[in-house]
Amino acid sequence: MGKNWFSRRDFLRLALLSPLALTSFPLETQLKSSGPRSRVVLIRHEKVVDEKRRVNSEVFQAMLDEALTALFDAKNSQEAWQKIIKPNDIVGIKSNVWGYLPTGKEVEEALKQRVMECGVPESRIGIDDRGVLRNKIFLQATALINVRPARTHHWSGMGGCIKNMITFAPDPSVYHPDTCADLALLWNNPLIKGKVRLNILLMLTPLFHGIGPHHFSEKYVWPYRGILVGQDPVAVDSIGVLILQAKRKEFFGEDRPLQPPAHHILYAETRHHLGVADPSRIELIKLGWLDGCLI
Amino acid sequence: MKREKLRWLSLFFSPIFIFYPLMEAAVGSKINIEEMEKRKEIIKFLASFLPPEVEGWKPFGEDTLYDPETIFTYIDGAGEVYRAYNFKWLLVRHYQKRNNPTIIVDFFDMGRSEEAFGIFTHDLEGERIPIGQDALYKGGWLAFWKDRFYVSIYSEQETEETKKGIIALGEKIAQAIPKEGKRPSILEYLPADWDKNKVHYFHLLPILNYHFFVTSENWLELDETTEAVLAWKIKENDKKMYLLIISYDDETKAARAINRFLKNYLPEANEAGTARIEDGFWDGAKVHKNVGIIVFGAESSFEVESIIEQVLIKLEN
Repeated sequence: MGKNWFSRRDFLRLALLSPLALTSFPLETQLKSSGPRSRVVLIRHEKVVDEKRRVNSEVFQAMLDEALTALFDAKNSQEAWQKIIKPNDIVGIKSNVWGYLPTGKEVEEALKQRVMECGVPESRIGIDDRGVLRNKIFLQATALINVRPARTHHWSGMGGCIKNMITFAPDPSVYHPDTCADLALLWNNPLIKGKVRLNILLMLTPLFHGIGPHHFSEKYVWPYRGILVGQDPVAVDSIGVLILQAKRKEFFGEDRPLQPPAHHILYAETRHHLGVADPSRIELIKLGWLDGCLI
Repeated sequence: MKREKLRWLSLFFSPIFIFYPLMEAAVGSKINIEEMEKRKEIIKFLASFLPPEVEGWKPFGEDTLYDPETIFTYIDGAGEVYRAYNFKWLLVRHYQKRNNPTIIVDFFDMGRSEEAFGIFTHDLEGERIPIGQDALYKGGWLAFWKDRFYVSIYSEQETEETKKGIIALGEKIAQAIPKEGKRPSILEYLPADWDKNKVHYFHLLPILNYHFFVTSENWLELDETTEAVLAWKIKENDKKMYLLIISYDDETKAARAINRFLKNYLPEANEAGTARIEDGFWDGAKVHKNVGIIVFGAESSFEVESIIEQVLIKLEN
């Protein structure tokens, strides 16, 4: 049984073993080569967003199809979608409406379109964020698709797929102690547990740094033009953190760890066994445009 | 038996049972009215510091008041940062000017000037400008503190026009706050060659870890009653050295906290409470009365001891 705390000295010990350690995740978990593994697909396209951060729906749809086909080793996207959505499912698309960087209509509609093509009638598909606890579709959902943009966060370090389920909590502040260390507990909620079929972390124009109470500035978003797709929310977030860290290093010219560290992703594996946080046990499939890929 | 039942029925239909819920509702609505009146007064008071117009920027929409319970509806989890500094009220006002992005003024009443100073030190990025008791501007965001107030003025998009508007609003608001407040007295314990502009003042472990990750366990027993200052300096080799000073409300707690820290973080520490750690630098800690002093990243044990000694001299004076 290992210790359940870590200190700055753990980071330093690990840094001696691996130069990447300081920018990723510490603790014993990183040193294990065995253990569960997860697959994440990163796909990028130069034309998915324009200079005004508008999403090209057709390009996004094509990226999504290619990513799912690779994720599920399927012959085509239709086969991939049918592996996760059945015609009798009630499907909630868990979006994110944060004003400065929302999921956006184009993305939501692309997902809805593919769910409908699996035979689910429109009346059994819901798209929501802050209203999920009042939304009949979400209260009865048999399948959830979790989609949101990646961003740094003032209190949890990173806003990613794990955190996106916070609106299912009647009192979100319950999850705030120790800078949101135990956010993964959210996923034990019966409205969520076992229902999330797909996690999509939008890396179209991620926010890699924040300032002030609103934690947003145009200066700190960049057109990465990618999406991360996986079934394991921890693995998807873990790769997302690596990209944000790499961008911070490139922008600031030095290692700038997330403030605060996004340790909820690490604890999602070590404490709560929700998925794989250790990048060495994540199979990352990179597709599409590779310029400025950063990882 | 029947009589007993009748007695209960009569009690149930007694005036007390009939009128009690009505009385309760009346008292409840009175409290609500009082609460609403109080909030109106607070809005009026805080709004009195905000100008009705500056260089063509005019308020639009209603001013909104948030307290430590409702702040999450405004800035979700980030509200915890302001709660960590015991903020009392936040008044939000939007300013508009034709063909320009909106400017948002977040006007925080922190209750004490020390807390206003503390929340200001939470984010020290940017260019220092002379507004209030200290101000920083960066990328469309101005933050300053004066007296017990912390003010953030922000525009999502930075343009020449918004920058001018933000600075002008900041100057007006700072002028409207009549007096200055005092900085935390713990700053006086910093040795003379440590820059008091490069410090974070705080109470809680998550804030320490935000600026400089030390440990996930609260061995240092940081809580609302502790006052802490984390100072840093950049050495010739471009490495940062940190000095953490914590003031506890009693000596027993201070001794227990520093001993736990040494036992867990620096188990190999020598008698002086110092040890060379994995990065080749020296860390060390010492407790004196109700104050804990910790140094991270010194060149030698001697340097750790020398810095601690300088703090001890300040403490004794």
